[in-house]
Amino acid sequence: MSMLPLDKNDGGGRYPGFSTLAQAHSWDQATAGVVLGRIGPPPEIRFFTPQEEAGAAALLDQLLGQHAEPRVPVVNFVDSRLAEKQTDGWRYEDLPEDGEAWRKTLAALDHSAEELYFQPFAECPESEQAALLQSIQDLGNSTWQGMRASRVWGLWTRYAATAFYSHPWAWDEIGFGGPAYPRGYKNLGIDRRESFEVADASPGEDPLEAGPAALSQTDRKNA
Amino acid sequence: MSGVRSRNESAWLLPPGPGGNHKLRERMRRFDDADEVDIAVVGCGAGGSTVLQRLARAGWRAVGFDAGPFWDPEQDWVSDEAGSHHLYWNEPRVIAGDNPVPLGSNNSGRGVGGSMVHYAGYTPRFHPSDFRTFTADGVGADWPIEYEDLKPYYEAIEEELPVAGDTWPWGDPHSYPHRPHPVSGNGELFLRGAYACGIQAKVGPVAISNGRFGNRPHCIYRGFCLQGCKVNAKASPLITHVPDALAHGAEIRADSMVTRIDFDEQTGRATGVHYVQGGRERFQRARIVAIAGYSIETPRLLLNSTSARFPDGMCNDFDQVGRYLMVQGAPQTAGRFDAEVRMWKAPPPEVSTEEFYETDPSKPYKRGFSVQTVSPLPITWAEHVAAQGYWGADFRRYMSDYAHWACLGALCEFLPLEGNRVTLAEEKDRHGIPVARFSYSQCDNDRQLLEAAQSVMEKILKAAGADEVITIKRYAHLVGGARMATDEKHGVVDGSCRTFAVPNLYITDGSVLPTQGSANPALTIMAVAARAAERLAK
Ligand SMILES: Cc1cc2nc3c(=O)[nH]c(=O)nc-3n(C[C@H](O)[C@H](O)[C@H](O)COP(=O)(O)OP(=O)(O)OC[C@H]3O[C@@H](n4cnc5c(N)ncnc54)[C@H](O)[C@@H]3O)c2cc1C
Ligand code: SF4
Repeated sequence: MSMLPLDKNDGGGRYPGFSTLAQAHSWDQATAGVVLGRIGPPPEIRFFTPQEEAGAAALLDQLLGQHAEPRVPVVNFVDSRLAEKQTDGWRYEDLPEDGEAWRKTLAALDHSAEELYFQPFAECPESEQAALLQSIQDLGNSTWQGMRASRVWGLWTRYAATAFYSHPWAWDEIGFGGPAYPRGYKNLGIDRRESFEVADASPGEDPLEAGPAALSQTDRKNA
Repeated sequence: MSGVRSRNESAWLLPPGPGGNHKLRERMRRFDDADEVDIAVVGCGAGGSTVLQRLARAGWRAVGFDAGPFWDPEQDWVSDEAGSHHLYWNEPRVIAGDNPVPLGSNNSGRGVGGSMVHYAGYTPRFHPSDFRTFTADGVGADWPIEYEDLKPYYEAIEEELPVAGDTWPWGDPHSYPHRPHPVSGNGELFLRGAYACGIQAKVGPVAISNGRFGNRPHCIYRGFCLQGCKVNAKASPLITHVPDALAHGAEIRADSMVTRIDFDEQTGRATGVHYVQGGRERFQRARIVAIAGYSIETPRLLLNSTSARFPDGMCNDFDQVGRYLMVQGAPQTAGRFDAEVRMWKAPPPEVSTEEFYETDPSKPYKRGFSVQTVSPLPITWAEHVAAQGYWGADFRRYMSDYAHWACLGALCEFLPLEGNRVTLAEEKDRHGIPVARFSYSQCDNDRQLLEAAQSVMEKILKAAGADEVITIKRYAHLVGGARMATDEKHGVVDGSCRTFAVPNLYITDGSVLPTQGSANPALTIMAVAARAAERLAK
């Protein structure tokens, strides 16, 4: 079961007792070194200013629905990548490189929050933060604070998802076994599991039925 | 398979079990910068490594340069998605146009083995029709060579990788050296859905050995093919061509970024390569130079190699360098099943169909698409889900459902367009060299193919029992940018990969492809490179 708090209605508790870390003894050394490094104390903030750190933490918590402890220290992971210039190897012509783009979009987010709610983003109540983010996402390919909204949204969600779903606690929540070398998998096929895998406790919980009406299919990646 | 061993001993030179052959590397021949080697190859990926191996075997004094490391899979690669970031070309590049194409992890590698270190492993051939789309359909371009010219090289490389799959009914029908692999839940659903709609689907073709092949271990179906195969089951030049090249006296100079091709104004010939290693600028003399740096870096290197004779970049007399760069439209459609699919188990490449590959006269668009299994790991899957617009609690709820999704990907043959090209950006890399700017825009035909491919994938998944389907639009596989043509006004190299402008300069990577079909390109790139090398050695 994942360490992360997640309501049953939001997909929590689907893999009771499942723990990828409990399988760490079966991982190769190189992989174990990299993955276990995500568990201990998170890296210090080096890139963000204190104000940026507060805004980024609030933003990332909203995007990933992390509203209580323990959390995956996503803001530290994102900060590390930016400090080390670990970009994805490209930037849009109309946005600066990722580090600068993060600074610029976080400043813009505070600016929007000040305009609407008279305080920086991080100080706003969660409901106001969520409403502001929804309004940015709804802009799609239109301009937000001088930038194409979909590209800003893509930058934020790309870094957020990469950091969150690199963490064993997040894998436990989705039933993914993590590293698989040198052991590999022996039971391939529909409804077949390895001895260490755990069956989904609510297989009928189709998010499309449970969730809000499917949003219009956007094409943010190519925007 | 003994025939293969006598041509290419790589699989027998590897240690039994995973890992690299350290002795071979320690004993590697080393040339001096001042030696005039027979050939300097820029880039040790799909095309570069093939050329290096072929010419080393022919007795040439050959050096391969790569900007990235000489990988040791045991030490350097991990069974983890985020931890594999260092396999990609992460140096800055600028993307522009109406439909900018994200680069890096999405399509280009760095280091010995090139992008095939983290490619999925599909190795289909092109169809005979790919070589004359202009004559047949009035779109794209005709190659200066035909399918038949490449066929013997396809067969040779398929044995060397080796490729496993069903007997192939499409294009020029053929069989594969190794039998098809067993399929996972994802492949099972594709086969089931395709059967229900009357669409033929086949297992393979994948460059993952199935059975004994030298010292290569069997696939353990762990699903991390896009993170580099630590097992040595999936083919990449690092294990299929580099060992044999080293054993035949080639040198590989890793962590060496080539910054400029040197040119002699008097003779009109290339004289060697300027490169940076450990911060030091160096120069290797060579009788012949072959560039194989991938469709972005190859044009960039040519454009950065200016001289009095070539003020706008080497071989760029007719403004052809960097143009007609292609990318395949690669929409991914996922379907939701009440059963557990666990698509992350087993290699992502399993099953494909080429039934929609050729032009269908009843359709408003030309050319076509293929459909294949793709099995995204959590981070890539999160991107798929986020693209639907979900965030916060909705996003987490969706992701918790991961085990129930199956995922297919299409490859749409986007057309080569003049304006889709690499130029130089104002921005410079840490060596002070201008970086590549890649501008890309789709045409109407491209958009129609995307829609058609999406609806076929939705149909297959629904026929397999999916109650809901979601799609993300993506791109894959860059080729072109220094294409082959019949003359210098329409391309950069001739049918033998020799540049029109400089008689001892060759381009031997995916950049030379004039069209791309809807096949994954690595096998064709290797076949083209093997053919060019054979003609050079004559
Ligand atoms: C995620 C992913 C999945 C893929 N899946 C498939 C698949 O299933 N099937 C398929 O056929 N293809 C697939 N591909 C594409 C395939 O890997 C590439 O098309 C192919 O490897 C390109 O070959 P190349 O020789 O042109 O370049 P590469 O193989 O990329 O080799 C270029 C090499 O040149 C080096 N280099 C570049 N510039 C310089 C320089 N200036 N100096 C020194 N070295 C330099 C680079 O470091 C690199 O190692 C995939 C790619 C990716 C990223
Ligand atoms: S699934 Fe097979 S081929 Fe792919 S990485 Fe694992 S062992 Fe290698």
